[in-house]
Amino acid sequence: MSIFLSYEIVVFLMIEVILLVLMSIAQAAIVVILRHWNFEASSALQYRLEKKNYLINTILYFTVATKIILFLFFVQSLNSLSGVVPGAMCSAGVVGANVYGNLLLLLKLWLIFGFGLWLIVNKLDLAAADFPYLKRKYWLYTSLFIGVVLEFFLEIAYFGDIPLNVPVFCCSVVFQAPKLPFGYTQEFLVGLFYALLGVIVILNVSKNAMASFLCNVLFLFVAYYAITYFFGLYVYEMPNHKCPYCMLQKEYYYIGYVIWGALFLGVFFGMMPFLVELMTKKPHLRLLKFSTIYLCLMTAVCTFYVVRYYMMTGVFL
Amino acid sequence: MKQITVSNVDKIYNPTKENAFYALKQISFEVDAGEIVILKGVSGSGKSTLLSLIGGLSKPSSGDIIVEGEAIAKLPDRLASRYRHERVGFIFQSFNLLNGLNVYQNVMAPLMLSEWSGSQMEAKIDQALQIANIAHKKGQKVSDLSGGEKQRCAIARALVMNPPIILADEPTANLDTHNSLMFIEILKTFKAMGKTVLIATHDVLFEETDVIDRCIHMKDGAMVV
Repeated sequence: MSIFLSYEIVVFLMIEVILLVLMSIAQAAIVVILRHWNFEASSALQYRLEKKNYLINTILYFTVATKIILFLFFVQSLNSLSGVVPGAMCSAGVVGANVYGNLLLLLKLWLIFGFGLWLIVNKLDLAAADFPYLKRKYWLYTSLFIGVVLEFFLEIAYFGDIPLNVPVFCCSVVFQAPKLPFGYTQEFLVGLFYALLGVIVILNVSKNAMASFLCNVLFLFVAYYAITYFFGLYVYEMPNHKCPYCMLQKEYYYIGYVIWGALFLGVFFGMMPFLVELMTKKPHLRLLKFSTIYLCLMTAVCTFYVVRYYMMTGVFL
Repeated sequence: MKQITVSNVDKIYNPTKENAFYALKQISFEVDAGEIVILKGVSGSGKSTLLSLIGGLSKPSSGDIIVEGEAIAKLPDRLASRYRHERVGFIFQSFNLLNGLNVYQNVMAPLMLSEWSGSQMEAKIDQALQIANIAHKKGQKVSDLSGGEKQRCAIARALVMNPPIILADEPTANLDTHNSLMFIEILKTFKAMGKTVLIATHDVLFEETDVIDRCIHMKDGAMVV
């Protein structure tokens, strides 16, 4: 049996192909726009480009929004594939089935962040009277398009290389001794997690976009390890179950979607004001408020599992 | 003071195809604030197309249209909508009223997109109905009105936002002589209010009135000098 016969993968790849075709059409038009755009001109060419710009914006708005939604479907598909891939008990086994899995997931995450940035800059560009960020947003899109093409080939390589008759490693690996970065202890990691969150909240309230950007990048990695190696234990109620994916399953009430979703949204909104300011040269600080809300939500949910476990058993894991 | 400046405007339908059609060719003229100008020409001469460009309903293929210092052909759709809403009043040949509503509600429609309070809206509607001489029919459904009354309702609707510019496309084409003359009378009120008015028409009645400041003749999409 081929993994390409799995209906999730068929649907996923079909949508990816459609989006890639639409994005390629948009990219071809963008090359022309980038070469000839001159908003001051009232020539026939400029008016044609302005009309085409609306079409391109509509295509891109649809495709970019769909790509973001498709990421959730991709995560869900990985979960479903764990029933097909021998040895896989959750997405950990499927993602780790070959060398491309983690690379693909990381690329997808960065592309999602890039698309989010593009959507914000696009909104600001369309709100102004003279398309002030048009060239910058299309250069950004062009770099994202290169990433999307790479992503597509990586997807083909990844799905094509998942072994269906050789068992893969899964949570058996993550059940083993924790591998924390830089030899940190669990206590230090959790302390760093809460301390960094506090710093981010203070920076967000004081509207310091650059410092918030840096702290959010750092927090993304710290939170990943804290959730996987500390909070996850309380979600699973098992001292050695250190898996970032199992919490996405039904057995854990899909709480992983809330935790990871809130973390990514919080970090996204924390990073964007600085990046948007880099692109538009204007502060766009109100997004920091959303960063605080999402990160606090994620922390509250994680902390709830720890407190609940302690109240039920009187011990920490 | 120049309120509307049209420079070298072309409007080409299907520009890249064999059946490309030049609706407007190199149109250039200026209109002062408070001026009443007639665009005159036979059907198909480009009058309505020109009005739609000045009204921000469509965009030229090339050239500039500057209204009160703003290049309206360059406006993004969202800002073009605001321009139409706040700065232009439209009067159409076929009235384009909402038949299920009464006169008052039709005149109120443009105000629903604004942030006026109820009493402010009421004052504006009453004033517009008075100017258009249709206040006595304000509770009546527009489907029950005569052609002349419908046109006066449309005039009230065009005035209710107090726009500086009024564009009228063949406003008397569906009216009898009596109602056409009433429309011309209302133009005098527009003049007194300082409105800039552009009327696309081929009605000879407009030639007999002194309220018109200027006449621009058009033929096959071009201005006739």
